[in-house]
Amino acid sequence: MVSDVYVEEYHIDGGDFINVGTASTKLKRSLEMMGIPSSLTRRASIVAYEAEMNLVIHAGGGTICCLISPEKIQIIAEDNGPGIPDIELAMQEGYSTASDAIRELGFGAGMGLSNIKRNTDTLDIISEVGKGTRVQAVILVKSMAGGREIGRGN
Amino acid sequence: MAGGIKVQEALCVGCANCIKSCPTEAMRVIEGCVHIIPELCIDCGECMRNCPHNAITIDEDDWELIHSQENALLIADPTFYVQMGAYRSQSMIKEALSSWNVEDLIESASLAYDVVAFTIAKMLEKESSVNHPLISTYCPAVIRLIQIKYPELAGRLVPVDSPLEVGVSLRRELTGNNEDVTLLSPCPAKITLVRNPVGRKKSNMKFTVSVQRLVRALLAGGPKISDSVESIANNRWLKWSIAGGESSHIKYFSERPLRTISVAGLRNTMDLLKEMELGRLRGIDYIECRACDLGCIGGVGNAESRFLSKLRIEHTDFCWDISDQELADIRKWSDSKIWKLEENIGPSQKNPLSDDLNKAMERLKELNRIYSELPNINCGACGRPSCRAMAEDVVRGRGEVTDCVFKLRETITDLGRKIVDLSERMPHTLREPRRKR
Repeated sequence: MVSDVYVEEYHIDGGDFINVGTASTKLKRSLEMMGIPSSLTRRASIVAYEAEMNLVIHAGGGTICCLISPEKIQIIAEDNGPGIPDIELAMQEGYSTASDAIRELGFGAGMGLSNIKRNTDTLDIISEVGKGTRVQAVILVKSMAGGREIGRGN
Repeated sequence: MAGGIKVQEALCVGCANCIKSCPTEAMRVIEGCVHIIPELCIDCGECMRNCPHNAITIDEDDWELIHSQENALLIADPTFYVQMGAYRSQSMIKEALSSWNVEDLIESASLAYDVVAFTIAKMLEKESSVNHPLISTYCPAVIRLIQIKYPELAGRLVPVDSPLEVGVSLRRELTGNNEDVTLLSPCPAKITLVRNPVGRKKSNMKFTVSVQRLVRALLAGGPKISDSVESIANNRWLKWSIAGGESSHIKYFSERPLRTISVAGLRNTMDLLKEMELGRLRGIDYIECRACDLGCIGGVGNAESRFLSKLRIEHTDFCWDISDQELADIRKWSDSKIWKLEENIGPSQKNPLSDDLNKAMERLKELNRIYSELPNINCGACGRPSCRAMAEDVVRGRGEVTDCVFKLRETITDLGRKIVDLSERMPHTLREPRRKR
């Protein structure tokens, strides 16, 4: 069936701290309109926001593609940035390569990837230094809908 | 649920000022007059502030009627006591009202504010900060805003009743009487607190009148008062009428230092809630949001300039000497759980495009298609706050694409072209045979 997947794609400009957050806001609105439980909507919008942040801070921009189906929400962030040399290290809370200038803006606290991990069911990161990074986060819809009361997340 | 706002249809010209000011997009112009979608209205009063024709007003009860009853009972929002220079203290106001046979429940109210602040302080103190920040439930417009726009945060609303409700409960506990009480409200949101409460089935208050209504009555021919009025010592509850007042009251009772953020105004409130939603407020214990600028003194139901009210508060000496006896009393009432909400405050149910996820997805695609063809200048001429809202209304079957003046013009242009095309055609029988040419 054609209607099985709903796709939304956003282009993020590098260094654009003013508009950061628009993709996650739009995604959140779409998920609400579809009737996705608010606890999942919240997780998806956090993931999208952190992914946006990473594109803005580190990658010099990129794209975020959201694929939504009745089974899962997939958020794929792709860029042609510098890449991540040590993914395991980058996943650690508090580890950041953000410059002092960015930290002065209140960003780059080293929580991004760990925050994404905390809010996803599966997370795949492929990165090649000098070429770019692809972060693919999946939030399952089906497993949650039965288990938890809809709209009671905290 | 709308409860404190009404539209004067005779005055409404159907312009787009209010619909564009509404934070929850709860307004539509239909056939020349604005209509409020009750499930989305949070009673913030923003539309009233933005109506150039005064067509939107507070929907309050009739003060004359309430006043005409024997011994009317009144509980007033703290903003009431900082509105007038002529009646500058609580005791003066109480005496003036009593000469009208109206009893002002200042003592119960001020005790209730102490009890609520104390209760919240104890909650923040002991609860593990994993679930922090908690959110103040003092502003009813903020509660509704969270239920509608930030549903995931509803679980963080502190489960404590409004001190105004608690004040009436205290009065009833202390006297054993069950008299009707009227609330003096600085805003439409607190009117809704009485008419459509959240967290309880029925309000303790029966009627509600705006602060401005009573301030005008007092200033127009208020009774003279003697100089020797016995003063009421506890005035710290009046600080709740400006942003930050609640937090400072709570901090006073807390054994450990609390990290709190206080903001006022819808824009600040929405920005802060959005940051909280994104998990950026770790390490904060409590957030206090007020929908109106500067706090409750900015409510549309007040009489005095919010700037002058603020000045008056800044020049007040607040009494923070709480005797052991007073403290024991506050603790006793707090332990009695008089502040407890009857029911949890949950998120308001969103209305998806369809209950079936596949269908909702189809409709969302359709919505995006319609939206992409709209001019996206949000002119408001279709009676909706934005092109996006228009696309949504069309998908939900509440309008036509040609409600958009630009789409209408396009359709007419297409039709015009078609007419010109047709007018140039000739029946084939009248055409000259090709061979002869």
